[in-house]
Amino acid sequence: MTSSSKSPFPAALLKWPALASVAVLGLSGCSVANSDAGAASSNTVRVVLGQEPPTLEACESNLTSTGVVVRSNVTEPLIERNPTSGELEPKLATEWKATTDTEWTLKLREGVTFQDGTPFNAEAAAFTIERAVNSKLGCNVEGYVFGDADLAVKAVDATTLTVTTPEPDPILPLRLSFLEVVPTSTSTTAKVREPIGTGPYKIEKWDAGQKITLSSWDGYWGDKPAYAKAEYQWRSESSVRAAMITSGEADVAMGLSPDDNIGDLGVDYPNNETVALRLDANEAPLNDLRVRQAVNYALDKEGIVNSLYQGKHQVAAQLVPEGIVGHNAALKAWPFDLDKAKSLVADAKADGVDTSAQISLVVRSAQFPKITELAQVLQEQLSQAGLNVKLKMLETSQHLTYQVRPFSDDEGAVALMTQHGNQAGDAAFTVDQYMLSTGAQSYFGTPEFDAMIKKADAASGDERKKDFEDIFAYQNDKVVQFAHISHQTGIIGKAKSVKYTPNSSSGDELRVSEMTPAN
Amino acid sequence: MLIYLRKRIVSSALPLVVVIVGVFALARMTGNPASLYLPLNATQQMRDDFTARNGLDQPLLVQMADYFGGVLRLDFGQSLRTGQDAAAMALRAFPATLQLAATTMVLAVLLALVVGCWAALKPNGIADRISSFVSMAAASIPDFWLAIVGIWVFAITLGWLPTSGVSGAGAWVLPIATLLLRPFGVLVQIVRGSMVSALSEPYIKLARSRGAGELRVVTHHALRNAAAPALTVAGDLTVGLVNGAVVVETIFGWPGIGKLMIDSILQRDFAVLQAAVLLTAVAIFALNILIDMGYALLDARVRPVTVKA
Amino acid sequence: MKSSLTEGAAPEKLPAAREHQNEKKDEKQVGQLSLFRLLLKDRFATVSALILIIIGLTALVGPALMGDLATKQNLLFANKAPFTLAHGWEYFLGSDSLGRSMLARLVVASRTTLSVALPAVAVALVVGSLWGVWAGYHRGWRENVSMRIADVIMSFPSLLLAVVVLYVFSPSAANIVLILALTRIPIYLRTARAESAELQSRTFVDAARTFGAKPNAIILRHVIPVVLPTLLTLATLEFCYVMLAESSLSFLGIGIQPPDVSWGLMVSQGRQYLQTAWWLSIFPGVAIVVTTIAANVLAAWLRIATDPAQRWRLALPRKRLIARIPAKEAQP
Repeated sequence: MTSSSKSPFPAALLKWPALASVAVLGLSGCSVANSDAGAASSNTVRVVLGQEPPTLEACESNLTSTGVVVRSNVTEPLIERNPTSGELEPKLATEWKATTDTEWTLKLREGVTFQDGTPFNAEAAAFTIERAVNSKLGCNVEGYVFGDADLAVKAVDATTLTVTTPEPDPILPLRLSFLEVVPTSTSTTAKVREPIGTGPYKIEKWDAGQKITLSSWDGYWGDKPAYAKAEYQWRSESSVRAAMITSGEADVAMGLSPDDNIGDLGVDYPNNETVALRLDANEAPLNDLRVRQAVNYALDKEGIVNSLYQGKHQVAAQLVPEGIVGHNAALKAWPFDLDKAKSLVADAKADGVDTSAQISLVVRSAQFPKITELAQVLQEQLSQAGLNVKLKMLETSQHLTYQVRPFSDDEGAVALMTQHGNQAGDAAFTVDQYMLSTGAQSYFGTPEFDAMIKKADAASGDERKKDFEDIFAYQNDKVVQFAHISHQTGIIGKAKSVKYTPNSSSGDELRVSEMTPAN
Repeated sequence: MLIYLRKRIVSSALPLVVVIVGVFALARMTGNPASLYLPLNATQQMRDDFTARNGLDQPLLVQMADYFGGVLRLDFGQSLRTGQDAAAMALRAFPATLQLAATTMVLAVLLALVVGCWAALKPNGIADRISSFVSMAAASIPDFWLAIVGIWVFAITLGWLPTSGVSGAGAWVLPIATLLLRPFGVLVQIVRGSMVSALSEPYIKLARSRGAGELRVVTHHALRNAAAPALTVAGDLTVGLVNGAVVVETIFGWPGIGKLMIDSILQRDFAVLQAAVLLTAVAIFALNILIDMGYALLDARVRPVTVKA
Repeated sequence: MKSSLTEGAAPEKLPAAREHQNEKKDEKQVGQLSLFRLLLKDRFATVSALILIIIGLTALVGPALMGDLATKQNLLFANKAPFTLAHGWEYFLGSDSLGRSMLARLVVASRTTLSVALPAVAVALVVGSLWGVWAGYHRGWRENVSMRIADVIMSFPSLLLAVVVLYVFSPSAANIVLILALTRIPIYLRTARAESAELQSRTFVDAARTFGAKPNAIILRHVIPVVLPTLLTLATLEFCYVMLAESSLSFLGIGIQPPDVSWGLMVSQGRQYLQTAWWLSIFPGVAIVVTTIAANVLAAWLRIATDPAQRWRLALPRKRLIARIPAKEAQP
């Protein structure tokens, strides 16, 4: 009976999944499989990023993941900061000067057109500022660079623009360098994912989830770039990004780790990021200056830099690295002195400070390479000094609730690991946030310290430089809100076929026009 | 069958609503996304503006009513992160995961049937020992680790395959191989188990006594009965794949729904998360119905055989 | 509609009458062999049992012995290669990226790993099985509602659950257990329901019912014992799954967090050193694989050993066993 059964059952059974999968593959139109393989032609440069840009909107280009693609490639600012010299240089504005205390006048470049063919003029420049700073769009750059202040802009004639600030602002030109210029046809009610600019490249295609292609634009006012196309992909694992360089699938890879073992294909560059612990002086035991000093003495910064980062980072004495206006070259990092740390803690204890109270070491997972290791080292070293430290590794959103105001007050003492990158080149962008007693990322301050900061903010030239240098010295002497660890060094992977020298802003603004084929 | 199908679809509607309500409520327990989307030095005013603009200042029930109102008009809201239509983002990502999961499961089932049958012919024999050892080992290797080792060996050292990405057939090999191992390992165990039992059933002896060849006995008789549990488990594993390809998608840069989901969870992109969960939930419910129907069909065909034997 | 959901469930489906018949036959063959002596006859099972005992003991007493060693850092001694006694026995398995003893870290991690995996599996097993058996026995609306709840849990993204729990509570092993247990309940629920639904129409259950036994008593005395072996086998497979799931959560940054350490976290953290210090991720990976295989081998053996219909296989000498099976099956 059974053996005479006719239907070849197993075959029928197997047909189902097979048919189903064929149907699935067919229905979905092979949307994944049909993207063209290996476009490794010599006039295309292939870049691999850590994440897909959420948008390419020009007024959000101060976000690293957006700016790295759009800034100076698709769109351009009026004024541009040279990341190496720190000087401001003309871009779409050829010259600028302060005409009164609060008014700046800019002369604009002639003969520039947008990628949609419309001409660039003062009207477009004014439109850009209005849209980014004064509108209801909620642009990221608005809060980041301009705060609450609205700017009054006026197109005097086709090539002259005036900008008026409510308060005197000596670094307005620097702030303007964050604004990428867009034509007046850009929407004022919604953000635009694929902007039109005046840059050397225009957005050719964005395969969401897979790749962005830029192609060089013939009407560009400056020199034609060496590469006709730039392709961006993204992989979240740094080892995979490194592997793509090694295997020849990409030409430039951002954000590698020293352990990706990429050999001489890796290029180091100072990325302007500084790592530090921010200490909450509102809670015991960190409310005692000696304990905060002890934290500084207890950290073996040399050891960390040498063993975790292969000596590539630099031990830090302040929140900004060299090259930022206000960096105090005379400041020395706190020496590693465990005995001194222990005795400071003991002194504080003798004076009735509860040194056994728990300190939460709050760290954001995956913020930068080897952060988990670093956090465990810090915990161990602080424990050695006699402090009770509990490590808390948190994801980004949770970490933010500790990082910015309003701070929760039922947490006890917090030592927060912060990675600060000052991409503007002026210490005001650091100090206002991190050191004012009401700063968004500052636990505390003192009235005289606040006064010093206010004075520095309004100063200009050498006086400004000096004022900020004093501020960094004062923080280390009297305030000690920060225990600085290191100035970081970034690594980008670069194929032999590409010539490119990264600089301190490469992570935020990767200029494809500066890349050339090596042969 | 059609009546059954209709009943199942109707009875699945309520659970779908429960899933969405659950995701909606849980997502909002993970905190206000304002600080993720605003600059670090944003003022309280900017935070309040952001919260109001995205309707997050409303009571939860009002938000939920709004959302369901939108869903009925097929409006799933906008992504906070990209400003795009949430449903469009989910629909765009889904096929990539589906293709990956379907291909993986077909291969896993085929391979497991072959290896499982081979092992079951001589229970506790050498083939059995080796195959169960290998399949268990395969099922217990962490997938992200395997993926990175795979890239290292096959893309860098040997240069046979691309490291990642979606271009060309070669790019499919490593993701599928990584995803395949666990379902394969589990299915081998299951096929082997049911085959061992099936081969000692009386009707198999009957078939043998009538002179049926060994291969025929295995493929035509025993496998029929062994297929049922394998089908169910394969179904469960597929659900797991659809939901959990996130690790493989993350490493290989595969633009699928798993990656979309984890990104929108970590970025508190509620609308996208809800759209993605709704879409996968519909797919999983559909898959469950298909499995049950397949099972009913299978049962109907298998039953006479066992009863008469 | 469906019979058995999991592997090798067929023996449990044997009608009760046949089961008893077999039992008598087996008793004669097996004689008075105790389970322990049976175990010693199977080399693989013996080795597996030994491995599991060692791992269990390590997790129990190891952290007390090596806890300090596992956190002792030495930055100048990072990433030392394994398999040399030059640096002392503590560093026989090498040192990690912070110069800590890999051996001590593996030992300490074994406790975290087991204290996540075992409770997660146990909770899911108990809750899912009882619920499933109950639903399957009563059929009707209770079954329908239960199955739809299972659907809801299965289609729910466990990652979201993990983030919520980590956000609202703190990242601790107990919370990971909670997440993993909750998301795995449907697996047992569905299997137990299917088996129990089939059993409730069987004659021996019917008989118990006609004699006036209460439903709960019938479930406890007649249904659960028959369903249990399948569920236990499933649980051993799940044991592996749970360890891997914990590892994947670590990879995504939402699992066990340092300074706690588990094997899964070690693999995840070690992956970035794959090219410079392979032992950081290989050793914990091997620990997971070995534990899983041992658990599965032992479970497979236990399943046969406790199944009266199959125990004879184990009682025979190995050579004869292999010769015997085809012979037996070819000549019914």
